[in-house]
Amino acid sequence: MPAIPVTALLLVAFPALGALIVLLLPRDASRSWVSVGVSAVQVGLAIQLFRAVHGAGHALAWSAPSWAYWGLEASFRIDHFAAFVLTAAAGFSILVSLYGVAFFAGRNDTRSFWAGLLASLALSSGAMMADNLIFLLFFWEGLLGTLFWMIWAGGPDAWKTAVKALVLVGLSDLCLMGGIALVAVSEGGSSLSLSTIGASGGLALDATGGLAFVLLMIGATSKAGSLPFHTWIPDAAVDAPLPFMAFLPAAIEKLLGIYLLARIALELFALRPDTWASHLLMVLGAATILIAVAMALVQRDYKRLLSYHAISQVGYMILGVGTAVPAGIVGGLFHMINHAMYKSCLFLTGGAVERQAGTTDLARLGGIGRAMPVTFVSFIVAACAISGVPPFNGFFSKELVYDGALERHWIYYAAALLGSVLTAASFLKLGHAAFLGKPAAGTRTPKEVPWSMWVPMLVLVAGCILFGVYNPLPLRGLIQPILADQLAGHDFAGLPHSWLLVALTCIALALALANHLWGARRSGSGLHAVDHIHHAPGLSQVYAMAERRVFDPYDQGLVVVRGFSLVSFWFDRGIDWIYDVVSVRVAHGIGRGLRALHDGSYSLYVAWSLAGVIVVALIVALS
Amino acid sequence: MDGSKILLLVVFTPVVGALLLPLVGRASPRARNLVALALVLVSLVGSAVLAPGVFGGTDVVFRQDLAQGINLWFVADRLAVFMALVSSLVGAVIVFYSWSYIAHYGHQEEYYLMVVLFLGAMMGLVYAQNLIVLYLFWEITAIACWRLIGFFRDRPIVLRADKAFLVTVFGALVMLIGFILLHGEGGSFDLPVLRRAFAGRPIPDLAVGLILVGILSKSATLPLHTWLPDAGVAPSPVTALLHAAVLVKIGVYVFARLFGDTFVVSDTWHVVVPWIAGTSALVSAGAALVETDMKRIIALSTVSQIGFIFLGLSVGTEIGMAGALLYILMHGLSKGGLFLCAGIVEQTTHEKDIRRLGGLGRTMPVTAVAFLLCSFSVMGIPPFGGFFGKYMVIAGSMETGQVGLTLLFLAGAVLTILYLLRLFTMVFLGQPRGTTPQETSRSMVGSVAFLAALSLVGGIWITPSAWLVQSTVVNLLVAAR
Repeated sequence: MPAIPVTALLLVAFPALGALIVLLLPRDASRSWVSVGVSAVQVGLAIQLFRAVHGAGHALAWSAPSWAYWGLEASFRIDHFAAFVLTAAAGFSILVSLYGVAFFAGRNDTRSFWAGLLASLALSSGAMMADNLIFLLFFWEGLLGTLFWMIWAGGPDAWKTAVKALVLVGLSDLCLMGGIALVAVSEGGSSLSLSTIGASGGLALDATGGLAFVLLMIGATSKAGSLPFHTWIPDAAVDAPLPFMAFLPAAIEKLLGIYLLARIALELFALRPDTWASHLLMVLGAATILIAVAMALVQRDYKRLLSYHAISQVGYMILGVGTAVPAGIVGGLFHMINHAMYKSCLFLTGGAVERQAGTTDLARLGGIGRAMPVTFVSFIVAACAISGVPPFNGFFSKELVYDGALERHWIYYAAALLGSVLTAASFLKLGHAAFLGKPAAGTRTPKEVPWSMWVPMLVLVAGCILFGVYNPLPLRGLIQPILADQLAGHDFAGLPHSWLLVALTCIALALALANHLWGARRSGSGLHAVDHIHHAPGLSQVYAMAERRVFDPYDQGLVVVRGFSLVSFWFDRGIDWIYDVVSVRVAHGIGRGLRALHDGSYSLYVAWSLAGVIVVALIVALS
Repeated sequence: MDGSKILLLVVFTPVVGALLLPLVGRASPRARNLVALALVLVSLVGSAVLAPGVFGGTDVVFRQDLAQGINLWFVADRLAVFMALVSSLVGAVIVFYSWSYIAHYGHQEEYYLMVVLFLGAMMGLVYAQNLIVLYLFWEITAIACWRLIGFFRDRPIVLRADKAFLVTVFGALVMLIGFILLHGEGGSFDLPVLRRAFAGRPIPDLAVGLILVGILSKSATLPLHTWLPDAGVAPSPVTALLHAAVLVKIGVYVFARLFGDTFVVSDTWHVVVPWIAGTSALVSAGAALVETDMKRIIALSTVSQIGFIFLGLSVGTEIGMAGALLYILMHGLSKGGLFLCAGIVEQTTHEKDIRRLGGLGRTMPVTAVAFLLCSFSVMGIPPFGGFFGKYMVIAGSMETGQVGLTLLFLAGAVLTILYLLRLFTMVFLGQPRGTTPQETSRSMVGSVAFLAALSLVGGIWITPSAWLVQSTVVNLLVAAR
């Protein structure tokens, strides 16, 4: 068994090497298997690390000797939390890779995708293990490149979305950079180590610290996909290769973003419930839940609909962590891993449908549940999990988030519950439109996907059931040890503690079902079951504006930038005009004037000379 | 051979050798190409030979007193060696690239003469410890630059060369007045003497202001910058040499030498210069988003990135200064790469307007990838080298408490992402327009691939450059106190 530093180093170096090999491999078919193999080794390494941390009973830290420049230090710190997300990331990598074997079969343009996947795995592993904040940023921001690369792999038109993603995520990463620089100021530049600052009681939320918190929070939550820098995700759902969605936005980025958010909130700032920062996080969480789910409700594309849920569900995690009370934090973190499982699974079913039916347009789908039973069952379980139906994993984590939110203020709870109603409604619509009903005219009858595609889905389904039915395993084994000290003896495993909340959840789900049945009967199809919400007075105008991208910070930001750059451009041209025109004219003018004075007239020259003599004489006389 | 002789060789081999190049070229163009590269390599290797001793703590000095306080006094300290290494490294790659690029054109004797003379003058400038000697080398670079920009001899092009010459020489003359002011108060043109004379008190604001005019004009900072985008009419290796790697770094270097290493300036300048730099960075980035000429965009990007370097140097914190030096290195590599990529595109398509380009990524994959990697480095995306420089500059600026200013620069960094992506997508992605040329010259494509690889490796294996920069900055701040 290699020493810890070696294992940690391997967790970054091995997938990076894998990416390099994939780049050099000549055949596409072999690339996917290399990715499966590398991910498998990665899982093994991560588990080994997890056991080492577990066995040691404390965080394992390690930094490169003689490597410290201005607070930049190559230092790793692997605690329970880090080891857990590392293992999860590697696990998702192996499932998505296996899925990709069949998904990409017969294509010869997958080099970027597979290399990007392994490079992302290497960088995200580095970010999860880094203790020094600049070191963390190095890996974290490096994901920008792989993000761009993987979306770009989606085909000839995907690059527009790739650019959008790079700009939006780059913007939030620069916020993170600014935040880290402010932490250095706040800390007096002595140390940028997460664990050292955390051990010293955390930073104060004063002017500098507060701005640092906001900037860091923007960086972390945007990576997880929250508002307002989320708008590339639905576009990527359409343009990027589907396994990308199941891998980065659904799983790895959620793990990373919420992992860092928890680190910032709980460790770096030791967030307390009575602070404005806690309220800020909860408002952001609640807004993300509601706005994104409202958008999800009216989507007509399988993948786009899912992508809005990938945004909406982040809201629960941010809300949970933001409550700063034990139930909420545990719920938020539990929701993070649950979401990664069911959302990955949902995207994989989307990919299965796309591959077998040739489309993800809900209007052209229908009645494929019978032909694709494994996919359908996987969809049902994952959809129940995301909607918070007992006894699946999403139910338990949402109950904990509700619990924490209600402890702070009923308004947050109400927002979260309303979000759940709309989530359930949109999945009823999705399932009904895609898997039930009658097949659309002129579409081919699909077959079930090959084993390498349904195995990953079923593994995730099993996880959704296991983490729900036997939740002490994740809660006591994975989540609660992260918060050992802050839990104050609470144990959230087992059945929910508040039966009132469970009852309210059931009522909410029943409402969603009733709404769907009523809407479906009224409109005559599953796809149009929520049209009465879509076209409700007031809402329909807002939806129309959203579809025109009025609320997209990218499109609106580009308008502002375009205005600014035009002003800059003309300002620049104006300066140039001074050089090219004004200075030339001035020089010509002076030249003409001087020439006029030198016209060859003898008397004029004598007059000039006399005037000169008088001036000199006056100066001499006066001085 | 002792250090001071090596120092003389480093400076005067290219300066004198350049004058012999046309003669060699008469005999054999091939030999001339080789000799030109060899002359630049003498500077590179010589500086590298000096480096261990200098970074070990012993400066190398050559001193020959001449009349009127104009003393031939060269010192190889850490800052000088660092700058010499960066300039001659990028310079050597550019000369190598020129072999193939310039073979298509006439007047090659003049070309190599001016390029090597320029690099030699750069060596003299970084090692000089006498203000008048520094000024002389400064003007030699201006003359070489004037001929190189006007290389293609059409009237509009010559006019632009004149413009560059007039603006930079005007700045240099104003700077010379500043030098004379310093001489009046300090009694010498020698930097070590002046340092002692002004020890512990700031130098006159008027002198700082006058010298700044020279520095800002040479390093193309608002409002003295417009000659730089106009100079894009030069052959691409020249634009790489002038705009990216060497010429624009002269002002930055002299700023570090005078206001970082030698003199103390009053606190006002730690606010004024960053704001000038910030305005320059933002305005030129905005203009880059509107421009449609490939080389003008990259040139405006240089103006913008120089703003980051000035920010780091002028805020007066250790990390900021270190970041700026690191950025000089990383920006030189990657921006040089961008210009050389633009050169490949320009030479194969005979087109610089990005609205008439597109889809070149398919037929010129190596150039496209090299361009993208270099862009990532300029954007400051890890694991490329530019990341560390950008972070450290931002952190250094934050450290002074000027949060608004720092956010301004972060906005500039976002614009950097935007205009470089716009350039990349319009040139290399989308549908091909017109001809679809192939990558013809191996040495040219190899050069850009080398620079792109250096940008990447320089980021992943940051240790050596970080160490160089750290030692340099520690030395600087000790010297100024």
